Amino acid sequence: MSQELRSVNLIAPGFKGLNSEDSPLAQDPSFAETADNAVIDNRGRIAARKGYVVQTANKQVLNNNPITTIGEYRDASGDTRIFSTGNNKIWRNGVTGPDVNNTSLNDVTPQNYTITSNNWKIVNFNNNTYFFQRGYQPLVSENSNGYVVPMSIKPGNVGVTSAMYGNEVLAAYGRLWTTDFNDDKSTIYWSDLLQGHRWEGGTSGSINISKVWPDGYDEIVALAAHNGLLIIFGKHSVVVYQNAESPSIMSLADTISGVGCVDRDTVQYTGTDVVFLSDTGLRSFGRTVQEKSMPISTLSKTITKDLIKAVQNETSGFKTVYSPEESFLLLTFISQKLTYCFDLRGNLEDGSLRVTRWPSSTYTTYKRTKDGQLFIGSAEGISTYKGYLDNNTTYRFKYESPMLSFGDSSKLKMLKKLRPIIVGGNDSLAVLRFAYDFSTDFRTISFIINDQVSAQFGINEFGPNSVPLSEFTSGEQLTNKRTFNARGSGNTVVIGLETTINGSEISLQEINVLALIGKTL
Amino acid sequence: MGIFPTVQPPSTTGQGSGGGFFQNLIDGIGSGLGNVFGSGAGNIASGIGGLGLLTGAYNRLGNIGDQALDLGQDLAQTQIEQAAFRPYTVSTSTGGQFGTTVDPVTGQLTTSMAVSPEEEAFRNQMFGGAGQFFQQAATPTAEREAAVYDRMRAVMAPEEQRQQLALEERLANQGRLGVRTAQFGGAPEQFAMAQAQEEARNRAMLGAMSQAQAEQMQQAQLGGQFLGSSYLPQQMLLQGLSPGQTAASQAQQAQLYGTGLFGEATASGIEALLNAGLGQSQLMGTVGTGLLSGLFR
Repeated sequence: MSQELRSVNLIAPGFKGLNSEDSPLAQDPSFAETADNAVIDNRGRIAARKGYVVQTANKQVLNNNPITTIGEYRDASGDTRIFSTGNNKIWRNGVTGPDVNNTSLNDVTPQNYTITSNNWKIVNFNNNTYFFQRGYQPLVSENSNGYVVPMSIKPGNVGVTSAMYGNEVLAAYGRLWTTDFNDDKSTIYWSDLLQGHRWEGGTSGSINISKVWPDGYDEIVALAAHNGLLIIFGKHSVVVYQNAESPSIMSLADTISGVGCVDRDTVQYTGTDVVFLSDTGLRSFGRTVQEKSMPISTLSKTITKDLIKAVQNETSGFKTVYSPEESFLLLTFISQKLTYCFDLRGNLEDGSLRVTRWPSSTYTTYKRTKDGQLFIGSAEGISTYKGYLDNNTTYRFKYESPMLSFGDSSKLKMLKKLRPIIVGGNDSLAVLRFAYDFSTDFRTISFIINDQVSAQFGINEFGPNSVPLSEFTSGEQLTNKRTFNARGSGNTVVIGLETTINGSEISLQEINVLALIGKTL
Repeated sequence: MGIFPTVQPPSTTGQGSGGGFFQNLIDGIGSGLGNVFGSGAGNIASGIGGLGLLTGAYNRLGNIGDQALDLGQDLAQTQIEQAAFRPYTVSTSTGGQFGTTVDPVTGQLTTSMAVSPEEEAFRNQMFGGAGQFFQQAATPTAEREAAVYDRMRAVMAPEEQRQQLALEERLANQGRLGVRTAQFGGAPEQFAMAQAQEEARNRAMLGAMSQAQAEQMQQAQLGGQFLGSSYLPQQMLLQGLSPGQTAASQAQQAQLYGTGLFGEATASGIEALLNAGLGQSQLMGTVGTGLLSGLFR
């Protein structure tokens, strides 16, 4: 006797992001086994990420070296400049005047200032831009002319010595704070109030926290300011000081052992939280003002082992950026050309963020500007995150579901129909893939996603003299509903969709699976 | 010769220094004339006898003067001896002695005072103490100031250390041990404590200076007191000397008085003797004058 087809709808497949931690069989179908070059879009669907458009017109000045840091200068009057570093140079967009969108990189490296490393951090403070890198005298760019000069050249400088040539700099609470020196990993210096070039006299000072580390010893990696607190990230612990507005009386508020920060450039502010990368995953301080405590939550529980492995394998450093416009936080492992995209619209039940993966990403730095643009640094210069081509090059969007057992892994399943609902992806070649029982021998179904018809308004459909007729599409993107026959059988099945992103966005709304449930094996 | 001279009658043997021969001559002449010339001759003899008597009276007066001179000299010598200073010694109940001696050869008067061994030991002790105190008073105060300051600091140090430790503990609990500020050097609390401790040190230093100066004054006063005390046995001896000297003075007065009495008595005897001699001489002179006047009548 024939059995009826059982319909399993994978609604918004993969919208919970990657999950490599739970057993494939026990996973929620909303997780994804693979979500490459994907993001979670504003409808909660898994969708292709945007590409980037190179802005730099003279990337040859980089000599194939990547942009390593991008900084934005903006003063009270709204003047904006973009500074960047790379190829042992300091670059400024535009020759003269403020111009955030100027496309040329202009060398503003101070004369007789030799640079052999490019791990700069750029901060904007009190109408000046400051450049800090371990072992290098800090650089300053003044608003008046946009030139970059060593800090010791700046009039009124005090106490600019090698002792404060830190790797980390923080502009907070009316001061500059610097730490992570060549020979000192436990001292933090702060400048005089509102004067980032005065490191002696006034209310400047320092604090050595070598006796404060909860585990006895650690090394400062990064600093963060949050809610009146000064958060000091060590490699394996975190120390929090309160009343940092008055550094001379700030006092220890909390210490957290066993959790540290792997890199200065992984600390990001998300408005209500501070996110950083530890050697066991992406973490955040949950702000609990009422309880006056700082519990740390893990945001990457679904990919913990993958992140740990990536952290351990990284040799060139990390870059992160938070984009409220895109509602994501990007974490890039530079040497592995691997980027994880954490969606910040919401958390999963366990507090984790939904995460997707961007493989083969050549990004080396980021900067989200005050006007909401997301700048991406690479060997091609400075790019903006927009469009659906990587500098006019296509890229692959790939989704795979976890192992689906349809509720009973002991029974045989025979796929009969696959009906994906795809939003966007105009005229793209898509491949529907499925495999049984943990096999890597995928069966594929290729198809061209229908092209989207543009909206028409006021166009005479029946000749020049006909009555104009308006035509509208059903929505902003075309929704493709296609049905494909499937074959084969197995106890579990993986279903995926892969397509080339070629200028059009694409989202995977739903995959409806019709399967025949067979005998118990 | 004793202290009281014996007055003897004038000698008639002509042994006087000037009258013996002359007396014998007169006596011989008178006797010869009487024998040769009978009664007329008796007058002559009587005259000669009177002359002899006058001569005898004259000689007797001379002898009496010599004898009075001798007796006066003897009396003076006797009284000098009687009135001579007699050494005496005053002893106090604590063993001190005050003595006066006369050199028998030169007659030099020597006065000596001696205290008892205990008093001498006390005096030496006081004297030594005075020397020490004066020496200490003369010592520059810087060293003493340092010593007093060190002692004050030694007293203050434990509490300061406790406060320091408490502050360190508090700062450590607050994670602020490593704070260095341009304003305060370290943390504000550390600055406040350092300031307080420095003020305490300053006060201690000023206190030490005052204390050293006060002690210097005290040393000088003590030195003076000790020095005064070192002369106390001598003063006591001198005070004890007064009664002794009074007794000696009284004895001397008695001695002098007795000497005076002796002198007066002896002088009276001499005077009586002289008066007797003068009377005798006067009598002889009268008799001799009468006899002599009978010769020429």
